[in-house]
Amino acid sequence: MKLKKFLTLTRAGIIESLQFRLGTLVIVAGNLLYLIIVYFLWKAIYASAGTDVVNGMTFSDTLIYLVLATALFQFMEMYIVWEMGRGIQSGKIVLDLLKPMPYRRFMFWSYSGTFVTQFFFTFLPTFIVVAVVTHGAIHLGLNLLFFVISVMMAVSINYSIDFLVGTICLYTESIWGINIMKQVVVMLLSGATIPVAFFPEPLKTIAGYLPFCSIYNAPLSVLLESDPQPQTLLTTLGIQLFWCIAMAAISNLFWRVSLRQITVNGG
Amino acid sequence: MANIIEIKNITKEFKVLNRREGLMGSIKDLFSGNYTTVRAVDNISMNIEQGEIVGYLGPNGAGKSTTIKMMTGILEPTSGEILVNGSIPYRNRTRNAGEIGVVFGQRSQLWWALPLVESFKLLKEIYEVSDADYEEMLALYRSLVDMDALLHKPVRQMSLGQRTLSDILAAFLHNPKIVFLDEPTIGLDVSMKAKIRTLIQALNKKKNTTVILTTHDMGDVDALCQRIVIIDKGKMLYDNDIEHLKGFFGSYRTLKIRTDGDMAQIAEEIRHALPWASVAADDHWISVLVDEEKATVMEVLAKLQQAYTIRDMQLEEISTEEVIKKIYEEGVQ
Amino acid sequence: MKRKTPGFYLRIYAKILAQDLKSKMSYRADFIISTIGMICTNIAGFISFWILFRNFPSVAGWNYYEMLFLYGFSLVSLTPVQCFFDNNWSLRSYVYSGDFIKYCFRPINLFFYYQSEVFDIKGLGQFAFGIGTIAYAWSKLGLGFTPLMLLKLMIFLFSASLIMIALQNAAAATCFWIQNSFYVLDLVTRFKDYAKYPVTIFSPVFRFLFTFVMPIAFIAYYPSIVILRPQEVPLLSWLSPVIALVFFFCSYKFWMYGATRYSGTGS
Repeated sequence: MKLKKFLTLTRAGIIESLQFRLGTLVIVAGNLLYLIIVYFLWKAIYASAGTDVVNGMTFSDTLIYLVLATALFQFMEMYIVWEMGRGIQSGKIVLDLLKPMPYRRFMFWSYSGTFVTQFFFTFLPTFIVVAVVTHGAIHLGLNLLFFVISVMMAVSINYSIDFLVGTICLYTESIWGINIMKQVVVMLLSGATIPVAFFPEPLKTIAGYLPFCSIYNAPLSVLLESDPQPQTLLTTLGIQLFWCIAMAAISNLFWRVSLRQITVNGG
Repeated sequence: MANIIEIKNITKEFKVLNRREGLMGSIKDLFSGNYTTVRAVDNISMNIEQGEIVGYLGPNGAGKSTTIKMMTGILEPTSGEILVNGSIPYRNRTRNAGEIGVVFGQRSQLWWALPLVESFKLLKEIYEVSDADYEEMLALYRSLVDMDALLHKPVRQMSLGQRTLSDILAAFLHNPKIVFLDEPTIGLDVSMKAKIRTLIQALNKKKNTTVILTTHDMGDVDALCQRIVIIDKGKMLYDNDIEHLKGFFGSYRTLKIRTDGDMAQIAEEIRHALPWASVAADDHWISVLVDEEKATVMEVLAKLQQAYTIRDMQLEEISTEEVIKKIYEEGVQ
Repeated sequence: MKRKTPGFYLRIYAKILAQDLKSKMSYRADFIISTIGMICTNIAGFISFWILFRNFPSVAGWNYYEMLFLYGFSLVSLTPVQCFFDNNWSLRSYVYSGDFIKYCFRPINLFFYYQSEVFDIKGLGQFAFGIGTIAYAWSKLGLGFTPLMLLKLMIFLFSASLIMIALQNAAAATCFWIQNSFYVLDLVTRFKDYAKYPVTIFSPVFRFLFTFVMPIAFIAYYPSIVILRPQEVPLLSWLSPVIALVFFFCSYKFWMYGATRYSGTGS
């Protein structure tokens, strides 16, 4: 059965990431400390602003948004670009290409184990802490379901972008440079560092036309909207679905074309 | 001659975490530690003289690299005494490092992106080699290998053989008293192996450098070592000349014959006729390991010739490889 | 053999540096892409900063240009760690693969030998960016200019950079004990992004933590006060050079302890 094959990869990934035992504890502790910084920073910012609501977001909205964005980042960041780049440089990629599974899928499922551990060790604890600390500022209802759907699409979009950028490593040796550019652009334009609501008007419009908002801003706005209009909800999810398919298609196509070029040129 | 290395009853113990299996095991390992003590090196003593080439042998995980690490000063023994070049290596790591050279077959210690000559110049500075000594060494190198092919090539562009060659040259550059070679010929083709063996031998002769060689390649041992030390599971099994080692197992020789008929069946018959010899058969040859203290090869051959029509025969001395294998498997009685 | 003098080390470093630059030039595409990546990072950082303070005129009594000064200060003080200690990022993989052992057999200081191997020229872009920001903020704030102020600025920039170097050394050295120390390094790197905010925004407990345990307050806040608000300099600011030296020394000892401990076990 096909699914079983993939799930075996997932299980191996879980065991592997748990092998790094102390590391796991460090991640959990470190994230907590990091969240504390975010809390104080924004508290000070709001205290200086003089108003409770800035750009339609209250202090607790912003805090929940940023904290969960960080947790989502931890959860979604797969270092695919690094992995692909290293594999290409060392030639190890040839072994992966020989596996009886398309490379794109192989990479994804190899990482899926990390998703699971990161979900339980980073995202879930953070989510629970935030939900408890903010006394029900997160609405616990149907929006959770939409949030899960939205996150799944976000994971897919993020993976497609990573894979697309990783493919560039077939052409150049500069993994670091390419990775940092990707990271910077995604982090800024997806609203992972500052909520998109805070962006000035032209930048907000530009960000709206790009796929990055669908990675962080979309799932978080779905989650935080306590009384969602069906129309806005559908629009958000619809745009995500569009990017989901579009990015998967583009990254797949680019990969195939690149691979053919490389094999033809014997690079 | 003076001893350059003196080792007396050294022991090294490590603590190892016992990992549990499976998913639940991994989760349990997160929270508890269950350690066992492993004795990697167990009460080993030996003395090595200046200028010797010593083969240091043992199966994987026998404790070879642990011993070498103690000799190079990056590891402190749990107990026992060790003196290298008159001082205690782990107390004076940097000073000791100036007097030794190290080569790992698979890990280049040279600057990856630099041409070899630039690496040499940096090493000259680091080891504070005088201009005269440096030039003399380079001249010696030129007389031994084709330096022009190597000097201006970045290490990353070299073949494995060239890289190993360069690493060995780099290790000898500051004229160290001792050079440790860890599997120097691993992964190389036959002609490159021969080249490297010749080089090591020449450098040892010219500079009277002590060489400690760990290897799994018996070709290296036969070509280079007068003396071998064998350890397994941390314990010393053997420390003596190679020739002595062969004598140790009596005078064995292998007689190979080819006959008409079913080889396997004939082999079985010989096994019955000569119960003290070990007999093996493949598609072409029947091999009889003859202990010459029991019967000479000629006697055995005569006996076989009476029973079978022998089409062809070969006589082989027992190889070092077979002797070492016997020691790994059976130990030294 | 005689003891090696600082001059000896300086000479060796200069030689390695010259060679390293030569070989860097041979990877021209990588060099250019990495430089662009670095510039992107700085621009994105600046845009985030600008977006934030477009919405909020001041934070905890610090106005826009004062914050900008802190920002520029942190950029400059983070340059040396980027330029000279970048090999810390590779430490983990050397340790993991066992290749670290090759650094242990040279008759020179292990820490020096290891760090000398990489010089990251990309950091210079950040340096220029930071200097420009400081100069701009300086002139907008109308701080005036005396040679003494310049001397102070240089001393405090130097001690601030030592702090960051110390933090990174310590973080990198954790790989001698835990396997995925990448997360520790990554965490410290994320913390440095918050070094540009005034430590006064935190509650006393965390102010203590960020001053004495994870001393990111010394990367920009304490040293900048000496220039920005000369009339209210706390004692800790004057002490920061001493504290920087102490932290650096401790991190060096920690790194070396880890290295000697490790080199025995890996095979």
